[in-house]
Amino acid sequence: MATNTSQPILVVEHINVRFETPDDGPVIAVDDVSLDVAPGEFLSVIGPSGCGKSTLFNVMGGLLGGYEGRVSVAGETISGPHASIGMVFQEESTFPWRSVTDNVAFPLELIGMPKDKRIERARHFIKLVGLDGFENRYPGELSGGMRQRVSLARTLASEPKILLMDEPFAALDEQTRLLLGDKVLQIQQDLKQTTLLITHNITEAVQMSDRILVMTYRPGKVKRIVNIDLPRPRTSEIVGSEAFGRYVAQIWADLREEASRGMKDDETRTMRVDEARS
Amino acid sequence: MAETVRVKKAAVAAPAIGPVTLLRIAIVVTLLAGWELLAASGWLYRDVVPSLVAIGSAVADLLMHGEYYFNLGVTAGEIGVALLIGGTAGVLVGLALGANRFLSKAFESYLYYLGPTPKIIFFPIMIMWFGVGPGSKVAMGAVSCFFPIVLSVAAGMRQIDKVLIRVGNSFRANTWQMVQKIYLPAMRHPIINGIRLGLGVGLIGTLLAETKLSNKGIGFLIIQAYSLFDMPRMYAMLIVLFVLAIGVNALVGRLGGLDSIKRA
Amino acid sequence: MTAMALNRRYSLAPLVGLLSLVIFFVLIELLIRIGVVNRFIVPPPSEIIASFSRVILEEDILHRFVLTATECLTAGVMLTIFGVAGGVLMHRFRLLQQACETWVAAMASAPTVLMYPLFLVIFGRSAWTIIMMGFVAALPPVILKTLEGLSSTRRVLINVGRSFNLTPSQQFWKILFPAAMPTIFVGIRLGLIFALINIVGVEFLINFGGLGALINELAERYDLAGTYASICFVILVSVLFFMSLEKAERWLRPFE
Repeated sequence: MATNTSQPILVVEHINVRFETPDDGPVIAVDDVSLDVAPGEFLSVIGPSGCGKSTLFNVMGGLLGGYEGRVSVAGETISGPHASIGMVFQEESTFPWRSVTDNVAFPLELIGMPKDKRIERARHFIKLVGLDGFENRYPGELSGGMRQRVSLARTLASEPKILLMDEPFAALDEQTRLLLGDKVLQIQQDLKQTTLLITHNITEAVQMSDRILVMTYRPGKVKRIVNIDLPRPRTSEIVGSEAFGRYVAQIWADLREEASRGMKDDETRTMRVDEARS
Repeated sequence: MAETVRVKKAAVAAPAIGPVTLLRIAIVVTLLAGWELLAASGWLYRDVVPSLVAIGSAVADLLMHGEYYFNLGVTAGEIGVALLIGGTAGVLVGLALGANRFLSKAFESYLYYLGPTPKIIFFPIMIMWFGVGPGSKVAMGAVSCFFPIVLSVAAGMRQIDKVLIRVGNSFRANTWQMVQKIYLPAMRHPIINGIRLGLGVGLIGTLLAETKLSNKGIGFLIIQAYSLFDMPRMYAMLIVLFVLAIGVNALVGRLGGLDSIKRA
Repeated sequence: MTAMALNRRYSLAPLVGLLSLVIFFVLIELLIRIGVVNRFIVPPPSEIIASFSRVILEEDILHRFVLTATECLTAGVMLTIFGVAGGVLMHRFRLLQQACETWVAAMASAPTVLMYPLFLVIFGRSAWTIIMMGFVAALPPVILKTLEGLSSTRRVLINVGRSFNLTPSQQFWKILFPAAMPTIFVGIRLGLIFALINIVGVEFLINFGGLGALINELAERYDLAGTYASICFVILVSVLFFMSLEKAERWLRPFE
């Protein structure tokens, strides 16, 4: 499905991120990661916790400086949050003091769109994520899945060229996650929305992606890029198919090694902290 | 990853004499210099802003005479007894309200709404009941500190994580073991916090009562300095009192380990 | 079924509470009538209730109430302006916060109201002594709560603002300030309550102004029932004040 013929819209070249930590000394969070995303493509970045994928998310979103390498959108190097990139965060990020409509209208308010126009626009995106009927509710009255859809609608309302999502469903239960995945897939297909999803969930990645980039545990490198040749349009029903199972098994084989390295690392760190304390 | 970034920043910002200390020194010096200028200018009525030298010597004078320590002892004694009475009553009633939902529904809202009301206005009644001596001051202190202690103990007991209680029950701990091994340790934070709040308002209740009607105690000394218009002495007394009160408050917090419970 | 029975049991509780209060007062009344309790120390509750109308009619209570309310309002406006501004400044300039936060916290635990004789010298026996005392004593919690609200704004909300490229002023007005609003309200509510407590207290202590001074005057006149009645009145006023603040806070935060 990947439209490899056209120019990539997002290009990430040789990103290196290092952190100085008091315990472990300098830690390489992201090690020479390069990737590109074609217009309309759905790319997932998958890796175990601690592989630096959230760091990569912050780099691409322009929230983190001080890295080596280059991120460019449609040929333009970014040096901070870019209007073409819309971010959806892992944590609950709706504004509790704004109604659903006002939350979604937030980016429209920033560009100075007149009130009635932006409310109309906001309603469109609320409907898109399937929250019509809840326009005047406050996030406090909604479930976690609904709130995450509000965040998604808010980001979509800014009409970004690239939708960048950091484990947006991590806090939700499996069923909600699958159904929301359907919603995202449908929106992505309808809008031909270029999407980059950061996740640690294999099912989610295979369900939605054209390509999956597997990262290694610390330092975070590109381990492999897997093309997912499953028919589109897709829904969560595909989860039961044989081809789906093969992809999941293949990616798990890659990830297993990395995840167990991460686990071992956690254990030694805990032991070291204990020793330092006693 | 965000955490690692924060750790990095914290590790960098720790030189010997940091900008914070410098700013603090600058603020203190500016305030003192401003004060001294104001004192020398004579813009305000005479003596409202006495020179720092006068205040300093008044502090020294205060601390070198036994009279101050005698009165400090009187006030401290009153506050101690008040805290003992009001605190014991507060903890007991608080435990009862925290343990029994019926009692809590029946009576707690009265205490909740009476808590943030001015207590010093009860002083005329306390004088009638307990006389003009230390008794009425103790009563004022006890009444004042009772409320915050009751409310934080009751709330603290209800806020204990229910799973801890289930754990205790699963090990078939008896009532006394439950209290001793589960409830009290789990409630240490709210109890100490209640006592700290109680001490603060009890101190105010006792001292204000002393300024209104008494012939000994720190409150009496302050109002005496006022009627003699001895401003340096009044400043000296307020400074020493504030230092003591803030110190005791910090001490109770430290002894109660309020800093170390953050992990919970 | 059990849950319903339980609910019914608890729904009786407020009634039991009220009843025991009534029984308590009836008991006191009886004890005074039969002479166990001295009626010149504790006036019978019936006498206190009877003297309410007298206190209200003869002591110009409406005027006194307005006086105290005006003092509270003035102190409250000053508290909101200076307290919130102080908190915002300390949040904006991190160095200032690091230097002064512990000082403000220390002042919050100091018996500030003991400075009233000093204020009496500075401002004279006027409403300003009372207002300033209420203001100074209640300022630290407003500053601290504002600061707490601003600094506990969740990181992800700030990142949302950054991802939309907000200017610093948009970041403050559209994210930080509304996020901190609930905590700031708590601070202002605390401040207003402290202000009321200290204002009534100082009125009583220096015998000047509104409701606090009324109690003092009646006590000095040995009007026993009147003193008790006026104390009840002041307690009632502060309880109502406290309740309406809570209501206002809930009304201002529809989203929670």
